[in-house]
Amino acid sequence: MQDAQRTALERFLAERSGARAVRIDDARLLSGGAIQENWLLKATVTGGAHDGVLECVLRADAPSGVSVSHSRAREFALLQEALRVGVTVPEPLWLGDTAVFGRDFFVMRKARGTAAAHRLMKEPGLGGDRERLTERIGEEMARLHTLRPPSERLSFLPPPVRSPALKGVEEFRAFLDGHHTPFPALEWGIRWLELHAPRTREWVLAHRDFRTGNYMVDEAGLTAVLDWEFAAWSDPLEDLGWFCARCWRFGQFDKEAGGIGSREALFRGYERVSGLRLEREAVFYWEVYAHVRWAVIALQQGERHVSGQEPSLELALTAHIVPELELELLRMTGVGNA
Amino acid sequence: MRERPDGADLLAIAREVLRKELLPLLPEDKAYGALMIANAMGIAERQLRNGTEPQEAERQALSTLLQRDGELMALNRELAARIRQGVLDDSAEARGLLWEATVQRVRESAPKALAGGAGGSRTRGEGR
Repeated sequence: MQDAQRTALERFLAERSGARAVRIDDARLLSGGAIQENWLLKATVTGGAHDGVLECVLRADAPSGVSVSHSRAREFALLQEALRVGVTVPEPLWLGDTAVFGRDFFVMRKARGTAAAHRLMKEPGLGGDRERLTERIGEEMARLHTLRPPSERLSFLPPPVRSPALKGVEEFRAFLDGHHTPFPALEWGIRWLELHAPRTREWVLAHRDFRTGNYMVDEAGLTAVLDWEFAAWSDPLEDLGWFCARCWRFGQFDKEAGGIGSREALFRGYERVSGLRLEREAVFYWEVYAHVRWAVIALQQGERHVSGQEPSLELALTAHIVPELELELLRMTGVGNA
Repeated sequence: MRERPDGADLLAIAREVLRKELLPLLPEDKAYGALMIANAMGIAERQLRNGTEPQEAERQALSTLLQRDGELMALNRELAARIRQGVLDDSAEARGLLWEATVQRVRESAPKALAGGAGGSRTRGEGR
């Protein structure tokens, strides 16, 4: 972080928090995030409501920011709305702008613990009792799903479509039509989605990237649900399917809820808060959907490397996840070794 | 005449050095990079060992199913189009071809995904 940025930021934080002075003692760029930049800030605040040590995260557009995801202002509004209905999120503090930091940004309170999926898989003590954690995630999801359209504060979201499932089918096909290489097995999965598309009866605010790796835990349990940039009005089961999809279990396949716990626990938590009984079969549809959607995203990420736009080993390898996603799609849709 | 060991062998032995000798010495934040390198080398090695045979076998199977000749890419494009139209919904032959071609790609890109059910058919949930 440049000195000028830091000074401007200190002024901004002091002004917004009503402090006499703010000194940023430490600013560290967190890894991850091709689309956003996350800075971990440790500041000494003198006076005002935040007097003392303030640990927060500054989330800014990445310098190369090209994306279909929400702007920082929108993400800030999403966090505020989620918080309002009782979802555990990093508390959104202040929304800033380019005049302060050179790019759009907001500041949120730092959540405790880690989001790293590989650590959750390796350290059974992390996140507290795992069945309770899984149940808690179901509860969080149900709270989020109490947000319904229309919403004044979320008016920037595209209005709900009649069939989120078929809208997805359309988008996946449009992508494949513009792609240089055909993917027949993926087409097979999309065809299945078209034939089995459920009727959506109620639209909710879905997170659409709620999976292990995108929520934080400490030793005791869940501390924050992160990564809100894909949130949209959708079918409530989209979040449940995404969370349970085999491709997001990080190798712990017997733990059907995100590789961390039982599906029953997730459903139990969801049902307790929503009063809605979840049908395994209905969620299964969205697990198939999750595999197709992740495959399309993986192709898009791989393409950033293939096109020469952004040479990256990680992006290059992401393209090689597609075959196993397709194989799982074939299995799920009843194609065997015919 | 190329020298032996060939490219695939070189990748295999280089990968072993990376994993056994270098990886344990790397700081934690660099281990992921080394694992990615090992993974990429593994994919390249398996592709080299397989050569063009699987591609040709896939092309021939496609040619038989679609009853026309053509390049692998063009035939796959046609298969994709027919699947989308729904004309292959009930075709056992199409299913067999999709399965075989996909298993072959998984063998190269992510062989671990085949462990336990290698090439077999396991269905879950409601198949069609």
